[in-house]
Amino acid sequence: MTPMDSFPKSNSVDIMLLLEGTFPYVSGGVSNWVNQIILAFPEYRFGAVFIGSTRGDYGEVKYDIPQNLVHLECHYLHDELAMPAIRPMAGNNSAFETVRRIHEWFLHPDPTTIDDALKTPDFYLDSNSGASFEQFLYSKKSWEMICDLYQERCSDPSFVDYFWTVRNMHTPIWLLAAIAKQLIPARMYHSVSTGYAGFLGALLHHNNGRPLLLSEHGIYTKERRIDIFSSDWIQDNRNALQKDPTEVSYYRDLWIRFFESIGRFCYGAAANIVSLYEEAREREINDGALRERTMVVPNGINISRFATLRRQRPDSPPQVLTLLGRVVPIKDIKTFIRALRLVANHLPEVQGWIIGPENENPEYAEECRALAESLHIASNVRFMGFRDPIEILPDTGVMVLSSVSEGLPLAILEAFAAGIPVVATDVGACRQLILGHGQEDEAIGAAGGVVSINNPHDLAKEALQLLENPPLWKRASQAAITRVERFYTEQQMFANYRQLYQRGIE
Amino acid sequence: MAGIGFELRKLLKRDTFSSLLQTYGYAGIISSGPWVLSIFAVLLIGFISLPVVIPPVLVSQFQTSITYLIAISLIYTGLFQLAFTRYCADRIFEKEHFRLLPNLNGLLLLVTTIGGLISFPLTIVLFPETSLVYRLLFATTFVTVSCVWMVAILLSGLKDYKAILYNFAIGYGTALFLAFFLRTWKLEGLLLAFLTGQFVLLKGMLFVVFRNYPSRTFLEFDFLRERRVHYSLMITGFFYNLAIWTDKFVFWFHPYTGSKVIGPLNASEIYDFPIFLAYLSILPGMAVFLVRMETDFVEYYDRFYDSVREGGSLTTIQLMKNEMVHMAREGIYDIIKIQSIATIIIFLFGPAILSMAGISLTYVPLLNIDVVSAGLQVVLLGLINIYFYLDRRGRALFLTALFATLNFILSLVSVKLGPYFYGYGFAGSLCITIMCGMFLLDRDLETLEYKTFMLQ
Repeated sequence: MTPMDSFPKSNSVDIMLLLEGTFPYVSGGVSNWVNQIILAFPEYRFGAVFIGSTRGDYGEVKYDIPQNLVHLECHYLHDELAMPAIRPMAGNNSAFETVRRIHEWFLHPDPTTIDDALKTPDFYLDSNSGASFEQFLYSKKSWEMICDLYQERCSDPSFVDYFWTVRNMHTPIWLLAAIAKQLIPARMYHSVSTGYAGFLGALLHHNNGRPLLLSEHGIYTKERRIDIFSSDWIQDNRNALQKDPTEVSYYRDLWIRFFESIGRFCYGAAANIVSLYEEAREREINDGALRERTMVVPNGINISRFATLRRQRPDSPPQVLTLLGRVVPIKDIKTFIRALRLVANHLPEVQGWIIGPENENPEYAEECRALAESLHIASNVRFMGFRDPIEILPDTGVMVLSSVSEGLPLAILEAFAAGIPVVATDVGACRQLILGHGQEDEAIGAAGGVVSINNPHDLAKEALQLLENPPLWKRASQAAITRVERFYTEQQMFANYRQLYQRGIE
Repeated sequence: MAGIGFELRKLLKRDTFSSLLQTYGYAGIISSGPWVLSIFAVLLIGFISLPVVIPPVLVSQFQTSITYLIAISLIYTGLFQLAFTRYCADRIFEKEHFRLLPNLNGLLLLVTTIGGLISFPLTIVLFPETSLVYRLLFATTFVTVSCVWMVAILLSGLKDYKAILYNFAIGYGTALFLAFFLRTWKLEGLLLAFLTGQFVLLKGMLFVVFRNYPSRTFLEFDFLRERRVHYSLMITGFFYNLAIWTDKFVFWFHPYTGSKVIGPLNASEIYDFPIFLAYLSILPGMAVFLVRMETDFVEYYDRFYDSVREGGSLTTIQLMKNEMVHMAREGIYDIIKIQSIATIIIFLFGPAILSMAGISLTYVPLLNIDVVSAGLQVVLLGLINIYFYLDRRGRALFLTALFATLNFILSLVSVKLGPYFYGYGFAGSLCITIMCGMFLLDRDLETLEYKTFMLQ
């Protein structure tokens, strides 16, 4: 099963990381975090399972493989899918009854009564006691079940789309079961998302009883990852059939509900469920996690790396607004540009720097340039591509985040550490970071401003206040430094995980 | 070119009794015209030769030779008939019409080469007491007739039944015309007339293909490529043609019923005449088959697969399938009904027809059972055709193999049982095969959606 590669291989590890579409192939917040965690615990032998869609979607490895990552295997759900030879069959009656029961349960899930079936890899691999891949694909029972669920639940008329959506979304499960069955032993499992990786974690936990730790950095169903696995298929259907785009929404919904459902397996199996901030934790509980298993461990950064930048900072705010992030719609760069137009009405010299790669969505990047052009602020806006924040931060007056969705952005922590106030949209942990959470935290004061999403007017107002009012700017800068040093240091995060790992490995 | 289904539907749309008659009449002519023409032409050639060709045994030698030529060329090309039909249907579906001509040429080259390599040495060896000219004509005609089947297959795949009919008329007309002059050369003269007629027929049909489906390449063997050639269809075609001739061969070569006519060729005086007469009775059945399959069945077949492909609801899909099943059932019922009427007519007027033609009434019982068999053969054709539409090639192969085997065994048994049972072997084998086919079709259609979605 394991493809031949040059990655390290071992017979057993202490902690097996389960990674979906992140480290070591994709650079980004979560991947950096994984790298940081591995490097922070040289005393543990790490292993990692990378789950991707297809090999071609990923380029070269983006990280140096750490010394203590002694086992790394990669699985590509689309590539490794081997369709068994087609043959008609009846299907295992009791297994499909169980599957039906589970699907009933998905409609009214109750975290305390999670069904024991479907939790072990054997259910998917043993055709006598469970439902094998072959049975899922070709059996009469499976067909009857798909038809019944379609009649009962599907609000979209197209049966062929329903059929293939159901087939495509479930197919990786059998591959994951096979991966779980042959994976080398580990003393604990650590999944960095729900989704397929989280489901693999649940299978592994139930297969050999070792504890599972889940760290959620974002909301799986809301993030790009769902697109990685589904957009091709959804789009294929659409193009082929020339559909009204609104019709797809049901299938998108189906995907989301599917990932929510397999997410429950992960929540059910995980001994500890870690989120980055309070709101995320509440959402997890709402989605089926038991409250007593949840906890918040915010991301932390290496303060000293940025602290040195504070000395380079002038006394009055540089007239520069910086947005750190990929140029993609989810970051809503256009709102930033519109806000910049409003700021420029008062401060014609103001600069807007956009730091981040544009190659992911060149069309969107082009639209952003055109927008700046049409608002006559092209000379104020600079698209600077990918840069090390260290180079940019000293000359930044205020950091801006106009995203429509975020988790706990490291960019804000880094800006704070360098003493830069931040104006951000009220998404993810941004409010908690800028205004504080809980009495002690809130007492530190505001480290910038929080505005609603897609609101250039408020964004401009907050940014302008900070740029035009040096004392306010100074106070915000101080609050930023105090907050990040008190709550968001690497050391605090490592201490939390050290405890979690120690508990798990024993 | 508008498909035949389109033309028939246009006729039917007028929705009057006369348009209905017109539709079935038209369908009857284009579906049965070619072989009715050929049977009559060969009979007529015999008829006009009787006063000139002496001794008269030469005429029956000619007719037996033609029968064998048609039988063995059909069985031989049976290997390619269905496979090539499928190949052409796929190319037409993919709008690759330009592939038709070069691959037809490739097929003709293959059929000619293999046919020639087999037939020339064999005729030289197997007909020791005939003239060399006869032997050369026999082998040449075999190759030519084989090619005629192949081009006719392509044209019927293109639904250009009219072109086939015209060319058969011209080809057999030529044969008849030439026979009138060449009959003085006796057996060889008649055979030469027939060969020339076949040659004209072949060239005429080829002309239609060359004109309507031009191509940049002249010769291709794309139809033999992996994944484009369906071996099961080759065997099915072979078995089907073998099956419909098996009972005849049994009767020709069994010592009780067969007698030597020329070289190794036997005939069965008692068996042959009624069966060929009976085949004329399937004309209405063939017409119904064509109309029902090409209009009603195909319409719901298309709607079923459209609703599958283009996002119909499960209810729509099931509804269309039920309609399709309904149409298949109606089609088969209608064939049975119309053939029953034909059978009753022959039962009633058969003796009168025979005595009018001056033929012994001892043929009556055999003619009766043969009419039933001929009708059943149309029903089987309908069943197999439905299986081809559903792309269940394994089923078609099973049914034709079963038919061939049963026909051989039961015909042999019927010969042993005596003259009263002649013809019952053929009828019995068809009956059993059809029962099996219906039973399987029922089961297959029951689970059609499951198979369409899950097993493809």
